[in-house]
Amino acid sequence: MKRVMLLLAALAITAAPAAAQEVVKIGQIEAQTGANAIYGWMSSQGTALAVDEINKAGGFKVATKTYKLQLIALDTRGEPKEATVQLKRLVEVDQAKYIFGPFLSNVFLAVRPYAAEFNGKLLMWGGATRIHDYVGTPGNEFLMRTWNWDAGKNGFGELMVDNLVKTTGAKKIAMLFQNDQGGKVLEDIYVPMFKQKGIEYRLDYFEPGTKDFSAVLAKIAAWKPDFLFPSYADSYLFDIVRQATEAGQLKKFFLVRGSLGPGLKNKDGIEEYIVYVPKYFEEAEKKDPKVAKFVKAYKDFYKRDFPYDQAPLCSASCYDHVYMLVEAMKKAGTVDDPAAVKKALMAMTYDGMWKIRFDEKGEAIFNFDVVRLKKGGALEVQHINPS
Amino acid sequence: MTQLVLGQVLNGAIIGAMYGIIALGITLTFGITGIVNFALGEFMMIGAYATYALVERGLPYPVAVVPACLIAAAAGYLSNKAFFRFTRNNLVNGLLVSIGLISIFESAAMLLWTATPVEMHFVLPGALRVGDLALPRMKVVVFAVIVVVIVATYLALARTWLGRAAFAYAQNPEAAMLMGVHTPRLESAVMLYSTGLAGLGGALYTSLYSLEPAMGGVYVLKGMEAAILGGIGSLMGSLWGGVILGVIEGVGSIFLPTAFRDAYGLAVLVAILLFRPSGLFGDE
Repeated sequence: MKRVMLLLAALAITAAPAAAQEVVKIGQIEAQTGANAIYGWMSSQGTALAVDEINKAGGFKVATKTYKLQLIALDTRGEPKEATVQLKRLVEVDQAKYIFGPFLSNVFLAVRPYAAEFNGKLLMWGGATRIHDYVGTPGNEFLMRTWNWDAGKNGFGELMVDNLVKTTGAKKIAMLFQNDQGGKVLEDIYVPMFKQKGIEYRLDYFEPGTKDFSAVLAKIAAWKPDFLFPSYADSYLFDIVRQATEAGQLKKFFLVRGSLGPGLKNKDGIEEYIVYVPKYFEEAEKKDPKVAKFVKAYKDFYKRDFPYDQAPLCSASCYDHVYMLVEAMKKAGTVDDPAAVKKALMAMTYDGMWKIRFDEKGEAIFNFDVVRLKKGGALEVQHINPS
Repeated sequence: MTQLVLGQVLNGAIIGAMYGIIALGITLTFGITGIVNFALGEFMMIGAYATYALVERGLPYPVAVVPACLIAAAAGYLSNKAFFRFTRNNLVNGLLVSIGLISIFESAAMLLWTATPVEMHFVLPGALRVGDLALPRMKVVVFAVIVVVIVATYLALARTWLGRAAFAYAQNPEAAMLMGVHTPRLESAVMLYSTGLAGLGGALYTSLYSLEPAMGGVYVLKGMEAAILGGIGSLMGSLWGGVILGVIEGVGSIFLPTAFRDAYGLAVLVAILLFRPSGLFGDE
């Protein structure tokens, strides 16, 4: 009997820390599948990896308590209605106070009104371009924009276009965008920019789901543009670049979305392929130990090769974001007050794979690369640090 | 401008032939067995991914096409045995089974290959050029293969005992059975062939476009449009229906915004059906 009592006592002692273990829930709403999954799939990978690392290291300490992270990542499939239901679940059922996502503007516009009902009780970290229109405005204090997409003075759009004009002397640009919210966003950003710089432009839209672009490409080629500016997901870019170069119609590309992959795949058909990438990993891995560590961790965790052409999009940045959020909780001394955590985030600069900070509105500012791919695969990388 | 239009007529015909091969599967399955297989696009997806996977494992593309078609046909055969044979002449049940299969096959592809598009290396690079016109060589090959397959199917059905048995079964299954036609076997054969055809469509598609799990949805709709335009039950009509649809989309995209490309084909389809409700080549 004495032995049994001792055993029970020992069990109680070992079980006690586990029961006391506090958990911070992070919800995530991203399109992990579907035609525009490239952004959501990669970002959810980076988040899961960081959460795993932090938990395996024993969690993190805020004030006197040690916390672990619990990631609840839901697949929106890029469907706004689905995302709204999922966000409701995360907020009301799972009681998550920190929401990662969404990266898609159409999804963001659908979930924003619901999320705004929890203003002050929620922190939403989204990458969608349309967040630019709301972040920092009254009633939207729950929002922070984790990606310095093209819009805004700290976005990369202006820098990319300046760079294009200065280095190539381009005067005629043909835009070919998907006929959806993402395409409209790009029209809103780039058309005024081209007008202001005196660049002649034309804009064509294609239907979502299009695979054969030969008709529209022929029409564009007849207009003889200096560059084709296609967008916005690799699911289309592979076909657009391939079909444009295969028929020899268009050989110069300028991209602000998508990856280096389509250019590399058609490296013998292109003349020039200029693309925005948050980080050119092939080079960074050799120079920066933090990047090398991340690539190794990714390979070990997912047991597959590192997707160099896609990874720069989101996975690594979301990896940094999880660590950044944890640092902010430590600085704020609370995990339960999103407003205090946001205040800490706004005041800090996180030095991870990127140096990330937020401007006065709550939009992320970080360094990025412009990769210029030439015929045959020769590469030139330009590192840009927004002031 | 003339060259631009001519180029799109040729290109549209080639793309239309791709619609035609799916339309042929639809017209065969519905015309002969009365089964509505809206999941044909998924068998196309199976053929496409199977080709991609085999080529990635070192098989030459022309060799990989054969087992890919067989894999798609085998999936079709199993689907028929498990589900479709219970939906004969019942449009709603056929639709429900199709929707279920679309979901299952797409999810399986997503698990195996994720949503990220995959693309094969060029099978036959380069383009044929006449003046300013440029047609990718592989597209021309794809067009030729599809035309040969559709004409061969037409001849096989028109000139062989099996073809006559199939037509007899389509007209009156009971009478065909009394005349010695093994109807369950015939039904399976039609399903096997139509899904194999869709698999071939997918294998050919792989040589032209990138693949993603949801690729089948668009093509089955186009195939359906082409089959209705050509006339359900008309084999050559499915080819012509596809070609006409492809040309309308291609030429329409030159003069009108490309954002509504799908609508041009549909508008013409509605207009034609007003005057010929059974399609261009269907029986009155």
